[in-house]
Amino acid sequence: MSEKILEVKDLVVEFKTDRGTIKAVNGVNFDVFKGKTVGIVGESGSGKSVSALAIMGLIPNPPGRVASGQILFNGRSLVNMEASEMRKIRGNKIAMIFQEPMTSLNPVFTIGNQIEEVIELHQPQLSRKEREAKAVDMLRLVGIPSPEKRVKEYPHQLSGGMRQRVMIAIALSCEPDVLIADEPTTALDVTIQAQILELMKKLQKELGMGIILITHDLGVVAETCDTVAVMYCGQIVETADVKTLFNHPRHPYTKGLMDSIPSFDSTTGHKKDRLKTIEGMVPSLFDLPAGCNFQDRCVNVTEQCRGSLGEPMLREMELPQHRAACFNPLKEFEGKGL
Amino acid sequence: MNLYSYILRRLLYVIPVLLGVCFLIFIIFNVVAPDPAYLLLGRHATIEQIATLHRELGIDRPFWEQYLAVVKTAFTFDFGYSWSSKQQIWEMIKAGAGPSLSITVPLFVITNTIAISIALLVSFYRGKFIDKAVLLISIAMMSISSLAYILFGQYFFAYKLGLFEISGYEPGFPHFIPYVILPIILYVAISWGPDTRFYRSVILDEVYQDYVRTARAKGVGELSIMFKHVLKNAMIPILTYVIIQIPFLILGLLLAEAFFSIPGLGGITIKAINTSDFPVIKAMTILSAVGFIIFGVITDVLYTVVDPRMRLK
Repeated sequence: MSEKILEVKDLVVEFKTDRGTIKAVNGVNFDVFKGKTVGIVGESGSGKSVSALAIMGLIPNPPGRVASGQILFNGRSLVNMEASEMRKIRGNKIAMIFQEPMTSLNPVFTIGNQIEEVIELHQPQLSRKEREAKAVDMLRLVGIPSPEKRVKEYPHQLSGGMRQRVMIAIALSCEPDVLIADEPTTALDVTIQAQILELMKKLQKELGMGIILITHDLGVVAETCDTVAVMYCGQIVETADVKTLFNHPRHPYTKGLMDSIPSFDSTTGHKKDRLKTIEGMVPSLFDLPAGCNFQDRCVNVTEQCRGSLGEPMLREMELPQHRAACFNPLKEFEGKGL
Repeated sequence: MNLYSYILRRLLYVIPVLLGVCFLIFIIFNVVAPDPAYLLLGRHATIEQIATLHRELGIDRPFWEQYLAVVKTAFTFDFGYSWSSKQQIWEMIKAGAGPSLSITVPLFVITNTIAISIALLVSFYRGKFIDKAVLLISIAMMSISSLAYILFGQYFFAYKLGLFEISGYEPGFPHFIPYVILPIILYVAISWGPDTRFYRSVILDEVYQDYVRTARAKGVGELSIMFKHVLKNAMIPILTYVIIQIPFLILGLLLAEAFFSIPGLGGITIKAINTSDFPVIKAMTILSAVGFIIFGVITDVLYTVVDPRMRLK
């Protein structure tokens, strides 16, 4: 196992609202290793993005706050770190890219300017000339053609895919140890998605950073991740290495997510099965049921899921490093495989 | 596209707009308005007198000639004579501009400086105590009629405390200063509330944009986010709002000048409306229309400086 760089332990993030306090993230644990990718999968509102923002120290406060738990970066606690200290880590040691490449860049500054800004902040020893040269290098690294020309352009002159490349260039300018990618390809065309994921994988190999990839797309997870955590209602319901998860999903929710990906038989070109959906809706965080949060949508639900045993905890399954939070995990299911 | 051809093209657009404005003015003053003979000659005028007047005013000519006369006025600023004072209108405007500007220019500078500074401050501390306090005060001050400010100011500060002149004006620097301080203070009090609210909402629109989150994720400090990232983006609506006030500066403050007996353009306009002095009203209408059009062009040109997205269009 390679070196552990980031450790999230029992993280709880609360938001105060007019209707009461909700736990958007409720007791989440995961580790990020050097050169490896952790996928965090879940539907909208499952707490994936909030977990990422918590690591960045960017939870809007008020109304949100990290209520308890630990985030350890190379052994240093990031929770309650001095704002000025945290700013030295953000964009430097831990960088983040976002879902919306169209709006994530500042429209009134040039691409070069926005890359140079992060270099200036974290590497003040570099001269202006060196910064400019580095900005061009970064654009070249992320595969932007004629970077010398592009540095002088503004975001509106670039396509969505190009802008996401620029975001990656900004994020990687200071060679971070951890890159958090929050749905980096969701807003892009499918062909561009593949390019961006390829690029991230390639740069990860070159720079050796750990990646946290947040997505709702299991296809993306299968392509890029080493380990996966499936989130539901602010909690991790299943976690395993990517092969185990796809071949032996134990939590009915994980299986539900997999069944909702369309699949084709590669020899005949026909659809294998009817596309399935997960019945019902994600429960409101204001009104979570007693027991398992997934009970109302679960095909395997039993009486004990309804609260007599309390909440299901993550527990070890047969294979190593595979844990699921389910009283009644799936047994015979063969996953889709990779 | 280069800036000069953009400015040139923008100036060419002025022509059809100005022709349209002239058309509206022509409709209002030459077609819809009552026959000036009623006003100028009274009820006992003879038919010959009326015919002579119509000829003098040129309103016996066909409509298209009358329209061309309006257009000519708009381009030459040759507004003719006032009906009531018989003075040349251009001379009246020249005389009234000084007193108006001596109030409106300091007012413009002071209110915008105060409002933008406070807006930046409360946006930075959004949701905190100071933001809520400023909100409360500004809404309270906005809820009071501007007439109440003028009457209170004149009674309390000028009459009771004797700090300033109650009303009147003396031309020439520095003689006008004691007369303009009170109206300036009162109008700053009247307008800082709505202005601050406006600038605050413009700045807050930007504060929640995705690029601000990106800047934070890069490790940029909050002050730098506010003054570098947010302010530059907010400059577009701020510029529009500031520049659109400038034509009003030239036209003077309608109410204040009347209340403080300041012989500015606002006072002239009010008087002209009260006496149905059509040529003066028409002149002020044309002047304000031209002012708005010109400053509209200036705004558009400044946009291209501030916002790179505007440059290619």
